[in-house]
Amino acid sequence: MISVQHLTKQYGKFTAVNDVSFDVKQGEVFAFLGPNGSGKTTTLKSIVGLCLPTHGTILVNNLDVRKRSKEAKNLISYLPQRVIFPETLTAREVVRFYGSLRNISRSAADEALANAGFNGFSDKPVNEFSGGMIQRLGMTVISLPDSPILLLDEPTANLDPQGVKQFRDFILQQKEKGKTIIFSTHLLAEAEQLADRVAIFVSGKLGALESIDDLRTTFLKTGTIEDLYLHYVGSSHYEK
Amino acid sequence: MNTMNLLLITRIARQELLVNIRNKWTIIFAVVFGVLIVGISYIGIVAEGFSGMQNFTRTSASMLNLVLYIVPLVSLIMGTLSFTGDRGTTELLFSQPVFRAEVLLGKVLGLFFSLSLSMIIGFVVAGGIISSVTGGEGLLQYAMFVILSLLLALVFLVVAVLISTTNNRTSRSFGISLFAWFFFVLFYDLIVLGVSLLFKGQTANIILFLSLFGNPVDMVRVASLIILDNVTIFGAAGAALLRFLGGSGLSITLLTGSLLLWIGIPLVIARRMLNKQDI
Repeated sequence: MISVQHLTKQYGKFTAVNDVSFDVKQGEVFAFLGPNGSGKTTTLKSIVGLCLPTHGTILVNNLDVRKRSKEAKNLISYLPQRVIFPETLTAREVVRFYGSLRNISRSAADEALANAGFNGFSDKPVNEFSGGMIQRLGMTVISLPDSPILLLDEPTANLDPQGVKQFRDFILQQKEKGKTIIFSTHLLAEAEQLADRVAIFVSGKLGALESIDDLRTTFLKTGTIEDLYLHYVGSSHYEK
Repeated sequence: MNTMNLLLITRIARQELLVNIRNKWTIIFAVVFGVLIVGISYIGIVAEGFSGMQNFTRTSASMLNLVLYIVPLVSLIMGTLSFTGDRGTTELLFSQPVFRAEVLLGKVLGLFFSLSLSMIIGFVVAGGIISSVTGGEGLLQYAMFVILSLLLALVFLVVAVLISTTNNRTSRSFGISLFAWFFFVLFYDLIVLGVSLLFKGQTANIILFLSLFGNPVDMVRVASLIILDNVTIFGAAGAALLRFLGGSGLSITLLTGSLLLWIGIPLVIARRMLNKQDI
């Protein structure tokens, strides 16, 4: 479904992503782990065509993201790390607008909003929403088109425990529908609980690419996923 | 083949318009612009000792300076604000199945419509008051002057878009936009006059003539004065200018065409820049 080959992204002399390659199968839930600045966001943004790779190719359903961006993006719903909506718009206007860009009817957008529990808040401006509600609105926007691929950049970063639980339910629901999901996170338990495979990014490189099942039968027998993470990332990274 | 979808551009434009007409700064601009436009006609009368309102051509000439100062500034600020906005909004929008050029055009159109709406309300209210006192004489010239003012707004919106797409940092984009305003509204004529002093006769005249096309503010000023039959305020230079440009009709066409180039060229460059950069 998604093939990233030799992805390299440089900002001037700084290499944010360094020769990263991996494939994600259809219906797979894939987690990106790694410290801040390790290349997770850049990789996600490259897949959705927001970042232009310095080298390498990215195929989404065999479509080159660079050459056939619109067709590729039609298959993807992306939730940025910090989702923001124009403050003066209401939740209904936001969802209807993003729906309209994918030819989704207003009634379908309204239905999605109601299903997401926005009753009573649908016609309130976004500036009256809490951080968690904005994140939930973001999730409503990305689930609206029923795209086969979901890319989520640290989706639980601004959520309270209840929001985190709702997110987990959302992912499991999408997984049941057979969606291909890539998400980045710092919550190792979240990756262990939701993902089929994890990729650990260290200084722009792929430090490890393991399936959760393999990890459970090998490394996790003796340690935790935190131990595995620190094994690859190394405490020296934090000491720097 | 990357064929742009007009429907998507319209939807993005409508959204941008909605966001901007609810923006307090757009509302403040509309009120201030309207009050100044109406106020200018009264002040003009008092200054010239008339009783009652000035007619449309006199009012338009008085409004010209206000338009030439305020419209570029507001357009640059609104354009920069919109195109250097929150990263979260931008990322979500550009990750949708739309071409970057569609987002660019949609946002420019939406911004332009919101700015136009603010200006047209002021112009219409002022026009209504003037025509109720002095009748419809000069109404056509007034309408053409309004169109030129809107073109000026679009030129500087596009300039702001170009500045914002070539600079990653918001503060830097604002700084350059302010410099652009100072340059085109205040410094440009000074520089041109200084340069022309270094030459004599025909060469100086050619420099002055060509310099006109390097500054949209000057183009709108000259075109407005020609429309309002006020080019005589340039004296002999005005007559020479009209002769040089080939009469009023041709002059207006040439100046309007050049303004359209001032819209098209920065837009094409901004599109190329946007296609080559990370969001």
